[in-house]
Amino acid sequence: NPGDSDQAALFEKTEFLLREWVRLYLQPVSGRDSERAFAVFANQLHQHGMLKNDEMLLRFIRVSVEICVELTYRNLHDVTQNAHSRIKLFQTLDAFGRLVVLIVKHAGEPSNSKISMLNKILGLIAGVLMQDHDMRHADFHQLPYHRILVMLLEELNGVDQVLENLNSAILSALCNMLHALRPHRVPGFSYSWLELVSHRIMISRLLGTSQQKGWAHFQQLLLDLFKFLAPFLRNAELAKQTQLLYKGTLRVLLVLLHDFPEFLCECHFAFCDVIPPNCIQLKNLILSAYPRSMRLPDPFGPNLKVDMLPEINHAPRVLNNFTAAIQPQTFRKDLDSYLKNRQPVTFLSEMRSAVQMPSEPGTRYNMPLINALVLYVGTQAIQFIRNKNLSISLSTITHSAHMDIFQNLAVLDNEGRYLFINAICNQLRYPNSHTHYFSCTLLYLFMEANSEAIQEQITRVLLERLIVNRPHPWGLLITFIELIKNPIYKFWSHSFVHCAPEIEKLFESVARSCMQSKQA
Amino acid sequence: GVAPLGPVPLNKEKCYQLAMLESAYHHIPQPIDSHRVRTYLPKNPCPIPAYHYLNPPAHSDSFEYFQRLHPESLFFIFYYLEGTRAQYLAAKALKKLSWRFHTKYMMWFQRHEEPKQITEEFEQGTYVYFDFEKWQRRKKEGFTFEYRYLEDKDLV
Repeated sequence: NPGDSDQAALFEKTEFLLREWVRLYLQPVSGRDSERAFAVFANQLHQHGMLKNDEMLLRFIRVSVEICVELTYRNLHDVTQNAHSRIKLFQTLDAFGRLVVLIVKHAGEPSNSKISMLNKILGLIAGVLMQDHDMRHADFHQLPYHRILVMLLEELNGVDQVLENLNSAILSALCNMLHALRPHRVPGFSYSWLELVSHRIMISRLLGTSQQKGWAHFQQLLLDLFKFLAPFLRNAELAKQTQLLYKGTLRVLLVLLHDFPEFLCECHFAFCDVIPPNCIQLKNLILSAYPRSMRLPDPFGPNLKVDMLPEINHAPRVLNNFTAAIQPQTFRKDLDSYLKNRQPVTFLSEMRSAVQMPSEPGTRYNMPLINALVLYVGTQAIQFIRNKNLSISLSTITHSAHMDIFQNLAVLDNEGRYLFINAICNQLRYPNSHTHYFSCTLLYLFMEANSEAIQEQITRVLLERLIVNRPHPWGLLITFIELIKNPIYKFWSHSFVHCAPEIEKLFESVARSCMQSKQA
Repeated sequence: GVAPLGPVPLNKEKCYQLAMLESAYHHIPQPIDSHRVRTYLPKNPCPIPAYHYLNPPAHSDSFEYFQRLHPESLFFIFYYLEGTRAQYLAAKALKKLSWRFHTKYMMWFQRHEEPKQITEEFEQGTYVYFDFEKWQRRKKEGFTFEYRYLEDKDLV
């Protein structure tokens, strides 16, 4: 077969050239960025016909990746046993990474030919990885790909005038590749994937600017991670391998909460859609974020008047289009028409069936739709009250089409109501108009509830978000404190507060810490 | 654990994902995989008793901290941690201590006394230098330090 001998010849040639490149790369005279070595090497590539056209060059690169991978597998035993053979292997992998960067840099003008070359090479590496993963299954190893991609990540974002000008396109290319390699698609690559996504360069370059594009990319990658973890977290049965990935996720979120809280603020809606409701701490980390310029008033302060805070007039920014998430179109039209005319009354029962999803096993309700519906109706209500030149309070939020909708969602069955109350609590964050509106709404629903089941469930959702370790969102705290402090809610007279001695004790201790913690 | 929505049996795809994740768990990435190769001081993680310092002191990555280090420590960092922020800070601290780097000999020099002669191109006199092969300070009399070998970039 002539194709086979062609392939064998290409393989041999590539192996020779790659070895030659590693030798040049390791020579001290080749310079810090190997530019001098590359000039020599480009000549050799040319002589061997590898620069005839892009297709030839890409074939050379593809075979090079395969050789790097094979080299790793051949030495797997030594490489995993001792650090020195690992470092020895890195010489080849690093040299290859550097070569890719130089090829991209010299891929000619205009600059989009460099980017298209980069995209092709990344696609090629990802392709080899997925094929390897799907063929070897449990014997798949992340190491060669991990190392090559770390090198590319660092060098493509290094100090270099040419690359600096292309930085946002380079980041897009890297993010698209990582999205293609998401854990759902290539689970055997998950740990390396998380390391790459949370690499300091990745985080600082994508989030360090206020550029929407960088934020959207990073949001996508985190969504990939949450979506992968969700089914395992939901079942609350964590094997050691999932636990490790979950712990890594918590760490990344802590870094984000500390360094880029604004990012978490603006993305909270999308994240809450994919995080299962039982992942309280994961959600609290996201919902506790607040803009760095803001000073939060002490929620335990005795004289705190939330409605006097100037911040509660400002709407928070939400990066995602939650209005578009209300589907199908006809449902949204009916919703808008009901919000406008407060009729027909049949809409309310139609809505209750629209949020159900009987076809999905284990998921009776459409949680993203409930989340979008709650936020959308809330923002419409705020607008409605504003247009009447009123401010938000327990008395102005009532007797409206908006409150009709909420009161009708509150009479769903236990599961539906649980998701509905969760959707409201997801909005109880730092001082802003949404926090204030939904805080009043939740308290109103408690006060006007026609069954104790509703009140018990509201209490449950608030409490389960507060008995976990810190952080706790500010809006959640002030809502709960108001509920137990203000006598109009008659909180202590309800039987569920006294249903079991340990629960009663729990309430007393929460109350004690809420009422007095700062008085001492 | 608490699963308020009730557990859902994992389908075939999820079981496969879990299995692949488990095999990856047995060879998770090592710290060295994400860092530049350190020829002389490769990372070598090992268990350390909890009563030892597990983390370096706070702010030990600042110029102020490096200024408090002994010159020999700075030389060590300079030669054995190439291409790192530590190397950069060590060089900066050595400069502050009036050490000057000679780019031909690749060694640090310090005037032992006022030079006997200073011209546009060079200065001459007795110098102390740090010999990285013998790993000690040595003295050289009548040495000519040509300025074209003086590393004089401003370290920002």
